[in-house]
Amino acid sequence: MWRSYLTVAIRSMTRNRVYSAINIFGLAIGMAACLIILLYVRYEHSYDAWLPGSDDVYQVQTYYKEPTIGEMQASAYVAKTYLTKDFPQVSAAVFINAGGGGATVIKDGISYESPDAAFVDSNPIKVLELPFVVGNPKTALEQVDSAVLTQTEAKRWFGNANPIGKTITIAYKKGTRDFRVTGIVHDFPKNSQFKISMLLRWNIFSAFSEFPDMLTHMGINNGLLYIRLKPGSDIHQITSQIPAWKKRNIKDDDLGGQKLNWGDIGDVGIVNVRDVHLGSAQKGAMTPGNSITTVNTFAAIALMILAIGCVNFVNLATARASQRAREVAIRKVLGANRRQLVIQFIGESLLMASVAMLLGLALTELFLPAINVFLDAEMQLHYWGSDGMALPIIVLVLIVGAAGGIYPGIYLSRFQPAHVLKANKSAADPQGSGRLRAALVIGQFAISIGLMICTAVIYGQTIFARTSNPGFNRDNILQVNNMAYAEYLHANSDTLAREFGKIEGVRSVGRTTRGIGMSSNNNDVVRKPGQIIGSLKSQPVIARQKVDPAFFPTMGINLIAGRNFDPSRPMDDASTPFPEDLIAERALVARGINVVLNSFATRTLGFKRPEDAIGQRIDTTTNPKYGGWLPATIIGVVGDTRLGSIREPLDPTIYIYHKRFVPFAVVRYSGDPSVIREKVEQVWKRLAPDVPFKAEFSEDIVAKQYQVEQARAQIFAAFSILAVVIGCLGLFGLAAFTTERRTREIGIRKVLGASTRQIVRLLVWQFSRPVLIANLIAWPIAWWVMRDWLNGFDARIALTPVPFVGAGLLALAIAVGTIAAHSIRVARTNPIHALRYE
Amino acid sequence: MPMLTMTKLSRVYRADTVETVALDAIDLTIEEGEFVAIMGPSGCGKSTLLNVMGLLDSPSSGSYQFAGLEVAGLSEGQLADMRKRNLGFIFQSFNLIDELSVFENIELALLYHDDIAASDRKRRVTAVMDRVGIGHRARHRPSQLSGGQQQRVAVARALVAEPRLILADEPTGNLDTQHGEEVMKMLQMLNAEGSTIVMVTHSAAHADYAGRIVNMLDGRVLLEQRRAA
Ligand SMILES: Nc1ncnc2c1ncn2[C@@H]1O[C@H](COP(=O)(O)OP(=O)(O)OP(=O)(O)O)[C@@H](O)[C@H]1O
Ligand SMILES: [Mg+2]
Repeated sequence: MWRSYLTVAIRSMTRNRVYSAINIFGLAIGMAACLIILLYVRYEHSYDAWLPGSDDVYQVQTYYKEPTIGEMQASAYVAKTYLTKDFPQVSAAVFINAGGGGATVIKDGISYESPDAAFVDSNPIKVLELPFVVGNPKTALEQVDSAVLTQTEAKRWFGNANPIGKTITIAYKKGTRDFRVTGIVHDFPKNSQFKISMLLRWNIFSAFSEFPDMLTHMGINNGLLYIRLKPGSDIHQITSQIPAWKKRNIKDDDLGGQKLNWGDIGDVGIVNVRDVHLGSAQKGAMTPGNSITTVNTFAAIALMILAIGCVNFVNLATARASQRAREVAIRKVLGANRRQLVIQFIGESLLMASVAMLLGLALTELFLPAINVFLDAEMQLHYWGSDGMALPIIVLVLIVGAAGGIYPGIYLSRFQPAHVLKANKSAADPQGSGRLRAALVIGQFAISIGLMICTAVIYGQTIFARTSNPGFNRDNILQVNNMAYAEYLHANSDTLAREFGKIEGVRSVGRTTRGIGMSSNNNDVVRKPGQIIGSLKSQPVIARQKVDPAFFPTMGINLIAGRNFDPSRPMDDASTPFPEDLIAERALVARGINVVLNSFATRTLGFKRPEDAIGQRIDTTTNPKYGGWLPATIIGVVGDTRLGSIREPLDPTIYIYHKRFVPFAVVRYSGDPSVIREKVEQVWKRLAPDVPFKAEFSEDIVAKQYQVEQARAQIFAAFSILAVVIGCLGLFGLAAFTTERRTREIGIRKVLGASTRQIVRLLVWQFSRPVLIANLIAWPIAWWVMRDWLNGFDARIALTPVPFVGAGLLALAIAVGTIAAHSIRVARTNPIHALRYE
Repeated sequence: MPMLTMTKLSRVYRADTVETVALDAIDLTIEEGEFVAIMGPSGCGKSTLLNVMGLLDSPSSGSYQFAGLEVAGLSEGQLADMRKRNLGFIFQSFNLIDELSVFENIELALLYHDDIAASDRKRRVTAVMDRVGIGHRARHRPSQLSGGQQQRVAVARALVAEPRLILADEPTGNLDTQHGEEVMKMLQMLNAEGSTIVMVTHSAAHADYAGRIVNMLDGRVLLEQRRAA
């Protein structure tokens, strides 16, 4: 019996080549999309699952109530002190990258950037059980000044020589420090929140001896804190006690006699390492995170594409029913019951699904490497093992096979044989199936049109993000980093800026603590003079940015009211010496400073018009040791600028003129960018040879900022193209079958005098109608989804009818194009030929 | 016991507003071993009668007993089961499956019988092919045969399961005179070997092969003629 089924299935597959090809190819694409997305979803969920004992490893995060600051992965060093003190469940904790990641390696007198080097304050292996290649994991990082390198990093500095016991020299404070290499670990996989090339054990207290306050306040979130719980501990026992823990440990700050508590504006979260990548807190992450929504959206889209493939299957099978009806009737006459017939059709459908799956697997294997490159991922297609795809593959074939076979099976087996076998009568299309096919085609096209609309809107927003006015002139700026480092070593940032300015083609040079592409990392509580603040909660938070007078004109930021800082007016300059000089700081508090606000900040502070703020006094916070509040007079108001991503809200900003330890120089130039960059580097090498040169063009920074958006837009585009292609394949097949079945009708019409054009119009209209109806379904859904998505941006494009109408017309054009060729061929055939056919 | 008995059997087609009485209170009995021809003008209900007889269609009212068993009220599955054990069909438009070879088309009639072994099946198919004279065409596809040859395959398919009753609806309708005669001779031979046959035909000459002729008009039996054996 099965052999007979198989024979019929294979012969009918080879006889109806177009039909089979459409079915199999469409399904194969759908299955490949499904498999790749499944791999992607698994991959996204696999982050840091490779870490041994990851169940017990947690990242401590910091959440601020103020949305402009939001949720971050960074923590304060004191959080470690308090957590290990109060919770015996915490067996070990490590604070990584205090003060920011990366190190400068000195080799043969030349300084190199090692951007992924990580300083650790204690033995990290007690928390993160990294797999060692060489060395004793237990002891490798027990001692200060020891270093563990990844294999790649070891090769970079030591080549093929054995690095164990050798030293690596790292720039440290004003000099260097030698770290002894005690171990080699495997490179971190890409599905990890960690991007670490070497672990350097230092003494955090001596490293921060000049800034001891940075290790004692919950508001200084300058490193990543990981803790390991003792096996069997319940994390909820800790999280439920966090409010009490905050009350117990976090002391009030004394700001000029007022008591304020950090616990009122900030919170601490404890998140398992495996949940960090898809977690809500993404600021300060070592590697870019992802959102669960995005992952789920892609999964949903892949399923939709598969559904479109399945719809083709069902549609073509029922459309072809007339061809199969006779066979079914004969089988019934010969005593087959319905169950046997349904099984036969499901079997055929399974066979088709299996062939499609083989092709889909081939497509997956073919495209996976390219997709890995595109997404910078390491997805792998395994068949066996715990992450093997064999089971999902089989399940997918079974589901698709059953889904594609059950309806045609039931539908065909319902035919009355007496009806079908009537002499001179091929099976008519029973009622209902035509309507179902139309409904399914409408569904297919609704999905395709919806995806096209989303693609257009996402692309539009991406272009908008890159081109919208950020409040400054974005082109032709070279942003030079490490200025603060040069200042620290050589006290020469003024000289550097001046020398940059002398380069031919450089128009001006400004300096800032917050560079292009950065989100605000320094926030101030501001009050009206003498105002008594009940708690920090109710007070506006304003981003603080230190700049020099050249910053605004260099960036092209507009002055709206008042004046810019003036180097010749001592009151404007708020620079204080380094190392900390208490007398100078207190003198500054007594004297007061002049500040410039952006127009958003004037609104936040309650000024009606920017001009109203000029000459007004406000108090900004400063170190309690200096007196708590620093009085400031507003001398100017500038326009709002967007330095960060278009996703982040604009910040109300207070600008302070400060010359010391400002890390970024913005160099505005005209002419050949690479020449300018080279000349700037020459100046750098001359004045600060021991500091790595690090510079980026603003165009590149902005492009990088929207890389994720861009990639997402491209994936969307790829998906909608796939959906449209599969949908049109189905439509083509359907048109082919329907017109074939209507050959006789068309012949009669022609005999009666219909022209080819009239017949083509008849057929094209028949197939355009579902596409038109699909628009009515796709539009509201796409509108709703896209409005939601756009609302996630601080600045967004308006939702115009253009993408909607455009997608509808495009779908229609593609559909008509698909059908027209076929219709014309059929309409042109000689009616005599057509009529003899029956 | 008669092969089948129909009492006051009617079949009414209802389509929206129109009601067609295809069979109108038919009383008919057919004995084991008979060869019955059904004749009548187009649209008088011959095919409907044959379909009901062959359990492909159910009566609207009246009684139909096949081999002493009342057919009304049987489930679809039971009907399918009865069909494969007792009935063989031959159609005017041969109704062979294009994807299958001659051999496979005939074999199909045995495939739905669970109790026939593969070797047995092969033997029976070969035997029946020889009997209708198409043994040398076993591997051909239906489209590669002439009309007469195709109908012989259909006859073989109807025979191979050794049914108690063979139903033929205008088996010669699509054939030229010579091929028609061949098929009739074959049916006559089968009847002589003991098969019960009911055949619809428009040809008086072909009806003469039968032992009894039933004439129908407007869904009723008008006249029955028996031929002296
Ligand atoms: N499915 C159906 N629905 C409605 N009426 C039907 C159906 N099948 C047959 N009829 C009607 O029943 C009557 C008998 O039809 P039937 O096919 O039995 O005639 P017939 O005697 O076989 O004719 P012919 O010699 O042309 O084959 C006809 O009037 C026909 O129109
Ligand atoms: Mg008839």
